[in-house]
Amino acid sequence: MAAFKGHAREASIAYAIAALALVLAVAAPGYFSAENLSDLFLANLPVLLVAIGMTLVVIAGEIDISVGATFAICGVVAGALAKAGAPVLLACAAACLLGAIFGALNGALVAYVGIPSIVVTLATMTALRDALRWTTEGAWVQDLPPAFQWMGLTQRQFPYVVTAVTVLLTVAAAWSLRHLAAGRAIYATGSNQLAARLAGLNTSALKCMTFSTLGALTGLAAVLNAVRFNQIPSNAGIGLEMKVIAAVVVGGASVTGGTGTLLGTVLGVVLLAAIGPALTYLSVSAYWERALQGAIILAAVAADGLSHPLFKRVAGTLQPSGGGRGRRARGAA
Amino acid sequence: MREARLSVQSWRRRWFPNGEWVLLLVLVAEIGFFSVLAPNFLTVGNFFEITRFSAELGLLAVALTPVIVAGGIDLSVGAMMGLAAVSLGAAHQTWHLPLPVAAAFALLVGVAGGSLNAWLIARLGLPALIVTLGTLSLFRGVAEGMTQAAVNYTGFPERFLFLGQGYLGRVVPAQLPIFVAIVAAYVVLLHRSVVGRALYAIGFTPEGARYAALPVARRVGLVYVLSGLMSSVAAIIYVAHLGQARSDAGTGYELDAITAVVLGGTSVFGGRGTIGGTLLGLFALAVLQTGLHLAAWPAELTGVLTGVLLLATIAADRHIRRRPPVRAFVEEELQVKNSQVAILCATIVAGSLIVAGTNVWLIRSVGAGPRASGGLQPSPTAPHRLVVAVMPKAKGDPYFVSCRAGAEEAARELDVDLVWDGPTSLDAAKQNELVENWITRKVDAIAVAVENRGGISSVLRKARDRGIRVVTWDADAESDARDFFVNQATAEGIANALTDEASRLLGGTGEFAIITGALSAANQNEWISFIRKRLADKHPGLKLATIRPSDDDRDKAFAETQTLLKVYPSVKLMMAISAPAVPGAAEAVRQAGRTDVRVIGLSLPNINKPYVHDGVVQTVVLWNTRDLGYLAVYASALVAENKLAPGARSLTAGRLGQIEVRDSQIILGAPMLFNKGNIDRFDF
Repeated sequence: MAAFKGHAREASIAYAIAALALVLAVAAPGYFSAENLSDLFLANLPVLLVAIGMTLVVIAGEIDISVGATFAICGVVAGALAKAGAPVLLACAAACLLGAIFGALNGALVAYVGIPSIVVTLATMTALRDALRWTTEGAWVQDLPPAFQWMGLTQRQFPYVVTAVTVLLTVAAAWSLRHLAAGRAIYATGSNQLAARLAGLNTSALKCMTFSTLGALTGLAAVLNAVRFNQIPSNAGIGLEMKVIAAVVVGGASVTGGTGTLLGTVLGVVLLAAIGPALTYLSVSAYWERALQGAIILAAVAADGLSHPLFKRVAGTLQPSGGGRGRRARGAA
Repeated sequence: MREARLSVQSWRRRWFPNGEWVLLLVLVAEIGFFSVLAPNFLTVGNFFEITRFSAELGLLAVALTPVIVAGGIDLSVGAMMGLAAVSLGAAHQTWHLPLPVAAAFALLVGVAGGSLNAWLIARLGLPALIVTLGTLSLFRGVAEGMTQAAVNYTGFPERFLFLGQGYLGRVVPAQLPIFVAIVAAYVVLLHRSVVGRALYAIGFTPEGARYAALPVARRVGLVYVLSGLMSSVAAIIYVAHLGQARSDAGTGYELDAITAVVLGGTSVFGGRGTIGGTLLGLFALAVLQTGLHLAAWPAELTGVLTGVLLLATIAADRHIRRRPPVRAFVEEELQVKNSQVAILCATIVAGSLIVAGTNVWLIRSVGAGPRASGGLQPSPTAPHRLVVAVMPKAKGDPYFVSCRAGAEEAARELDVDLVWDGPTSLDAAKQNELVENWITRKVDAIAVAVENRGGISSVLRKARDRGIRVVTWDADAESDARDFFVNQATAEGIANALTDEASRLLGGTGEFAIITGALSAANQNEWISFIRKRLADKHPGLKLATIRPSDDDRDKAFAETQTLLKVYPSVKLMMAISAPAVPGAAEAVRQAGRTDVRVIGLSLPNINKPYVHDGVVQTVVLWNTRDLGYLAVYASALVAENKLAPGARSLTAGRLGQIEVRDSQIILGAPMLFNKGNIDRFDF
């Protein structure tokens, strides 16, 4: 039990995934075909990439619900650039840059103006989404150059390349979060911002950085998703923020900051991504799917809650900020 | 002198502890601004209409205030509205319980849902955000599962509908007293009771509250139970307001409610916030929205301005708040600060007065000369220009965007003022609000693409009572609620065309699957029921394997189709009945390399051209949407000019020529089938 002490949530999510896999292996072995797993991976790639960035933001004690809107804008802008003749890699870089700028804007409003992040990103979410709706009037980006789809690769090569990129990014982020000074500083900031600042960390710049990273990853996710198709809808990413935040918090990151690991986030993404198609494979009626999804999430989280002593539970989770959570900070992936 | 200053300060601290006065100024500025710019904005009737729209959202926002004050959050309130609404409907219509009992049952469901949240959060100590995210899915999912997302409970007794639609003494909306009573109760709970003090303490520091011997878990649990209860009350009013109960009631309301609460100065970290602030936030948003509708400015501005307002208000509050703790003891500084604040207020008020004054002057001078092109009231000297207000189901939808091009074309030809506005996403309640706004604005004709038949009919009847001509298009309201219906194709016509086409492609036998929009989308559900009927009547060899939702999202349609192709290898045809779902399904089929699977559906030509040319998509069924928008405006203008009277057999609509009218239905023609041969001739 001691080995799991800081990772109770990760463990319970891993058990939940194992249980789901067991049921599927017996009832619908076709689920584990290479083709299905590859499709699932590609379909949930945006969620995974954004969730990596979101984990950083959440560990730093903030939240960002504007990622869906940023995702849509970055996709449309990348498409418009590609249509105007820019090479696809340049369009990709531009989308990442634009995402990073939106992220920096959020970060600056949070860190320097001092507005709570949920308020800032609620505002940017509605404003950006409606601004995009206003400018595009719902029109899709069409007639993209043929080289845009699959980024000039073939449909067969593309999954290998993005898998490599994603794995590299995930491992790099996990490693730096655990071993680099900057990574530890994010935990410190999220645990107790005042203490971190008094210890000489530039917490404001740090928060800005996490938001920018999230924005850049959102831009990357938007492009990697857009290139799987030959046209780009202007209403992409609706509800993406909720999927991502659900994955991150199910994976054990605390929304009050200071705790959370990328391993947990990856497990959270896997669990949530696996449930939907699994229910189709198990022939559950679409009408009951959402209820079951909710129940599975609650069960996975409640299992973790039930294993703590009562006093710690109440005091620990209702606590808004600061005070003694630094020692619980742990990073591993 | 000093005492006077202190008393001013304490007065402010007492009534506006969180800088709500900033918001009050914003509200006054908004009202000043719109009463000049928006016709009929500053009327008693409009004031009460705003309170009517705000009742459901207001109940959620007021219930959320103590939750957030105690340092929590409840994202499940909108979903709970959906669950309570269908519980009410099921209890009344399916189990035939008397309405008061059914309402009590719905309230009980709300308490049960709230208790589940309370148990998980307060007893098990799980984070509120994740618990209520989970219950959001759970509640909405149970509501969808119970009704198969399709059942729409209508036919509630008149006396119940009065609660949502009626007026007390002809002016006061019937739901207003309930709202006021609940707000009063919450004010007492939060600001005048021991429980309220405890909530502030818990929000400020839960551990401290615990050491102070406060029953933390019980107090926190209470606010979640109450929030579930209030969601049910909101659901009952919502059902009475729209006259129908469906599983999608209150979708997205949680974010709107949270916006109102945080705009009202409640801290998301807990420990700070007032009911009064929440009300100010609520009305600042409602006035903004109504004002924009009445001024006929684009609805998208609402989102942009809400965002700006939220940031500006909270930033101003932060800026002002940042000083006192540091310099609280330096009296000179305080004096300066107070006078600064006074100057700031005076400047803002003076500025808005100047702006308002110049606007009045501008409008008068413009009214005397040639009329400006904006949607202002016609001046007595100018000849009356018709104002035709046209509402799509959703503004951003490419389908309606293409209708708009035709509508604008007709407006130019006829030289009428066109107001094109609608909800930014499918939302029956927003459509009702907008019609109410147009009644207040006194437009000449209203043309609505109806999202919800039962819900909108009562407000359309009200428009007709006030002398406004009403036309429906795309989807009909009840026949006594409108003058004419511009009928592009009946649900049955669409379903038959799709089913016959599927049968032709499959050679009469085989399995197919349907990718629909949202599971609870009324249109799609009607088509599905007609498709099933057609299958039973004419095509016994075809088998509908399954129905999957796409939520009108291309990427989701893509993923669902990928899974379908693997789980149901015997399915040889995908029928996608939502515009973005057809290209999504087609791309999935193409990438899977399944040349044996065909895709047909209901969608727009432009987004499907690549797939039709590739041969992945065989047929797209639709009518000429541009002509539909054109005809809707043409008919509305003719009706408003009394050139098209009931009983007419035909009308002449500009470039479309002679159009048949049958039983007050203006018939655009049969749906068209787009395929490789003809799709390039259409551009929408």
